[in-house]
Amino acid sequence: MKTHKVLPHTADVRLWVEADRLGELFSAALEGMAGLIKKSQSELQKGKRVEDSLKLEAPDVTALLIDFLSLVLTLTHERKAVFTEVSFEKLNETSLNCTIKGFETDGFDDDIKAVTYHEAGVKKNDAGRFETMIVFDI
Amino acid sequence: MNMSYDRTSELKLTKISDWIWEIPQSYRSDMRVPARIYASKEMLESTFRDRSLQQLVNVATLPGIQKAALVMPDAHEGYGFPIGGVAATEYPDGIISPGGIGYDINCGVRLLMSKLHFKDVVTMLDKLSQKVFENVPSGVGKSGQVKLSVKELDEVLKEGVNWAVQEGYATEEDQRHIESSGHLASADPRCVSLHAKERGKDQLGTMGAGNHFVEIDRVEEIFDEKVASLLGLTKGQVVIQIHTGSRGLGHQVATDSLKVMMKVMPKYGVSLPDRELAGVPLSSKEGQDYFKGMCAAANFAWTNRQLITHQVRGAWKSVMGDSGGQLGVLYDVAHNIAKIESYKIEGKEKKLIIHRKGATRAFPPHHPEVPAIYQETGQPVLIPGSMGTASYVLVGTEGAMNETFGSTCHGAGRAMSRTQARKEMQGKELLNELTERGVSVQTKDIWSLPEEAPYAYKDVENVVDVVHNAGIAKKVARLKPMAVIKG
Repeated sequence: MKTHKVLPHTADVRLWVEADRLGELFSAALEGMAGLIKKSQSELQKGKRVEDSLKLEAPDVTALLIDFLSLVLTLTHERKAVFTEVSFEKLNETSLNCTIKGFETDGFDDDIKAVTYHEAGVKKNDAGRFETMIVFDI
Repeated sequence: MNMSYDRTSELKLTKISDWIWEIPQSYRSDMRVPARIYASKEMLESTFRDRSLQQLVNVATLPGIQKAALVMPDAHEGYGFPIGGVAATEYPDGIISPGGIGYDINCGVRLLMSKLHFKDVVTMLDKLSQKVFENVPSGVGKSGQVKLSVKELDEVLKEGVNWAVQEGYATEEDQRHIESSGHLASADPRCVSLHAKERGKDQLGTMGAGNHFVEIDRVEEIFDEKVASLLGLTKGQVVIQIHTGSRGLGHQVATDSLKVMMKVMPKYGVSLPDRELAGVPLSSKEGQDYFKGMCAAANFAWTNRQLITHQVRGAWKSVMGDSGGQLGVLYDVAHNIAKIESYKIEGKEKKLIIHRKGATRAFPPHHPEVPAIYQETGQPVLIPGSMGTASYVLVGTEGAMNETFGSTCHGAGRAMSRTQARKEMQGKELLNELTERGVSVQTKDIWSLPEEAPYAYKDVENVVDVVHNAGIAKKVARLKPMAVIKG
């Protein structure tokens, strides 16, 4: 099970994500970011399907998540597409191989300048679920 | 990470003057210098509401930081640095921190001046703003009219506005009215990644979204007749503001460099309380690579504002005809940038690395980096207000040189989250209210319009009064918006 929620922030956007498994946490974060970039998912799904393969390494799991979202954001702008799904061939705390899927679009809603490391910290909460905050620079 | 955020309530500020407050170095053991806040007593209450002061305390821990970590009255919470932050570090071995510049490298403001009174333009205003809206691409991910080859993009990154002059998008006269002449010589396109270039290749001459805009204003009030006259400003005159930055290219340069710096910080013995403060010595290879890439992105941003100027001039000529005359550039300032500048520290002239994140350079009269035409007035400082409220033209002062590393505020500063701003009012309602106030708005995204509503920002007049009264800039003129073309 996974969930995400947008929380108030004075200037930017704060997204809280929680999931039972690490892969689901990454997936919830991806979905949360996609929802900011394009509000209408039904409109988005009219676009041509696209997919890409990613391979990443990072010093820890928090950096891995932020670097993953940053790379997806870069590809979003380069390919003018919104990525909504991820499937992992490999995922541990410091590396991942995955395929991301989404749809081409002719415009985005929010201009996410960057996925920041600010406030981010992947940890297990008292309920034993993974959670983290993610702040997007808008 | 984010240590001591819970100690905000324990912050005890020392009053230095009615406009300056200090958090002593003793507040936290890892502070290397005190933290200074430029604000009125009333504004401190709002500044305390978010984490901006704890972020300022974190800035005071940067290796090589000089004198004090500073924040301007338009401060609000950022990521790593607060927005409105200024930090000077020792040259060349002090830290350069991409977080002290921001993701939108060389986000800045340009002011164009017409020779017309607003009464000559008022009947053409709707047509003019529509034409500007057509000519200047806006919105997220929108392409510009200029598509650059890899070689051309490298030229833009290396040469900045020099390239625009060569290509006929700018005059040499324009260039003389831009901070650093729109060209930082340290720029090296090889320090800009292929991802960044891919994002930037079709974005020259585009506004973007969020708080970026083109705004048609009139000069509503003059505070200093002599300086206004030297700048070429008169009451009632029509002027046009452009607010945008380095677009996706600059965002990518910042993202790429943060990743590199976080990895190599331990090699240089750097440990900081927030990952977004990540930095390395400027003299290191990684520090040099970032600085050269940042300079290239800054060149891109100045060229971007120049191309938008070209497009606005096209709209102006098409609507106003030959009788409209030319639109000249009053000035163009960066408010997210790092520069190598010289200051007197303990009586000795020292080169420093100045980080300005949501802060504007404010050099005084007779400073060698102020253009010849502004030697008597000081450097123009452009402070955009929120949509529907006033903007200001100020000039730099000796006070800024002595106290704030030649820096002052950059805008109104957000006071309310975007989510809350949308809850307060619907886009259509805000549009009607602005129309009643005499401000027309062109936008593709009416749903997001309330995010940039005047009530979502601090009162720009209070912000400007603080910097004026503190002597770190001097008020010259107030501008009133007539038409806003939103990104």
